[in-house]
Amino acid sequence: MPAPTRVFLSGCSMVILLIGSLAACVQTAPPELLEAVESLDRDLVAIQGAEFAPTEYARFVQDWAALKGRMLAEEDVIRWPWEPNPLAAHLQKVQEEGEQAMAVATQRKEEERRDAEARLTLLDRRLRIFNSRVDEMESRVVLGQRPIETELLVRQAHSFLDQGLFARSLQATEQASTLIVAQTALLTTELKRYADERLVGTWRQMARRTIAWSRTNQATAILVNKADRRLTIYRNGRPVVSYQVRLGYNGIMEKRYQGDGATPEGQYRVVKKRDRGQTQFYRALLLDYPNAEDRRRFHKARRTGAIPTGAFIGGQIEIHGEDGLPMSQTLGCLMLDNRQMDKLFEKVEVGAPVTIIGALKVSNPVALALADLEQFEEG
Amino acid sequence: MKRPFICYMMVSALTLAGGCAQPPTDKLTTAEKAVNEARAAGAPTYLAEDFAKLEGMLTAAKREIAEQDAKFAMLRDYDKAEQLLVTVETDAARVNTDATKKKEEAKAVALQAQQAAQEAVKATQELVKKAPVGKDQKPLQAIKADAQGLIASLSEVQTALDAGDYRVAQIKAKAIQEKSLAVQAEIQRAMTKVGAAKGQKDKQVKKHPSQ
Repeated sequence: MPAPTRVFLSGCSMVILLIGSLAACVQTAPPELLEAVESLDRDLVAIQGAEFAPTEYARFVQDWAALKGRMLAEEDVIRWPWEPNPLAAHLQKVQEEGEQAMAVATQRKEEERRDAEARLTLLDRRLRIFNSRVDEMESRVVLGQRPIETELLVRQAHSFLDQGLFARSLQATEQASTLIVAQTALLTTELKRYADERLVGTWRQMARRTIAWSRTNQATAILVNKADRRLTIYRNGRPVVSYQVRLGYNGIMEKRYQGDGATPEGQYRVVKKRDRGQTQFYRALLLDYPNAEDRRRFHKARRTGAIPTGAFIGGQIEIHGEDGLPMSQTLGCLMLDNRQMDKLFEKVEVGAPVTIIGALKVSNPVALALADLEQFEEG
Repeated sequence: MKRPFICYMMVSALTLAGGCAQPPTDKLTTAEKAVNEARAAGAPTYLAEDFAKLEGMLTAAKREIAEQDAKFAMLRDYDKAEQLLVTVETDAARVNTDATKKKEEAKAVALQAQQAAQEAVKATQELVKKAPVGKDQKPLQAIKADAQGLIASLSEVQTALDAGDYRVAQIKAKAIQEKSLAVQAEIQRAMTKVGAAKGQKDKQVKKHPSQ
């Protein structure tokens, strides 16, 4: 080989070697590592990393953004082959941060989901028991719009949970729980008298007096027990027959004024018998409500502002049958089915005493349901 | 000879000083404004992760600026920070557009749910007027209270809509609609029961005309 050719060839090989070594020095981010970090980024979006691991996610995002900037800035930087690849090290760090954020987010999301689900399950159970006791006490009307507000919140809590909005679900659950506590407190205030021994004692005395009157006068008397929803006919001091009776729409409450739907408690007499055609409620026995005691109580309540200023005491309290019209309801009267009303109508004369009491025993259905509710709330 | 040398040195120093990199204050302000606009468009709610990335990039850019600020003046290089800020600005505009779109979609869904809830409540009110009260049925007053409660709850949907909380508005509206339908079903059942009882009564009367 001639010398100039040799020199030329060796020159070319030197150039190729130099270019080759220079090319090897342009360091890029390892693609598999890059793909792993990008995949982590997507997973963190899917798991709502920003919500469940805000600190860890922010750190990952910041470093990931910084790394992207660095990759862009160092695109053309040439390093010696024996120098370490700083991009790979940085990517490794970002990957570790991403994995940590992922682990934290997964754990927290699961914890929040379980917490929200557990609380909602408990609330569902609590609401079922609450509603069942309210039904037992027939005190739904006392609570006004609160039951529906509670139910709407429970439904919302379920929807939030289904959509993975656990914090919102917990918030709705808390609000519903607070409403149940408020309703329990309201029921306690309104119905605690059914557990009041002194008052129950008074009611028992009223019942005894009525039964004694029936015995002494060898006549018929009626005793109505609101807590048991029973109407019992006494003849000569002995119970003859007992019927299930329906009270006013808010009957379990103490009668305060006209239109409150409560059934009055007190000692009354039948003042008029209204036969078919004389009443829209089949047949009826009109009572002498309000009596002197009712008037005294009403005026006192009006004086103390316990009832609305324009309220009236009302009247026309009857024991009646059913009218069969779709809109029929008792506004404070006592309702029997028509066959039972027939029997009662035949047995009772004008002047017969009708005593309406809250309960005969302290362990009556209302007091028991109320105690159960309070116990559940405390538990 | 001495004077021209000093002058040369001073000119060189001034030239070098003049050539020192300046922090990208304007770009930072623009990027921050773009992020704030994305926030106002509802990005934290409707594109939470994308928005978190934006904030992350902005923080990274600020950190980079601070790092460069700490260096000797002649060694400062804000290129990386500038690149990040440009990316923040571009991404913020995209996030803003996407968030606005998503928010509008959520609003449309919420409004649709609100309308469905309003119609369901109205239908419930109509049915309440025909609600029967039998011996074993829930008192009419309770059903009326439910209907009133449903009407009152509709205002909560409006409040959520006014606040731009469309997901909550939709969920609230859905709950109202479902409950309204449940109340309607309850009334319908009662009406059927009363109807059946009435029919039976009529039959009995026909069979035993003496009663």
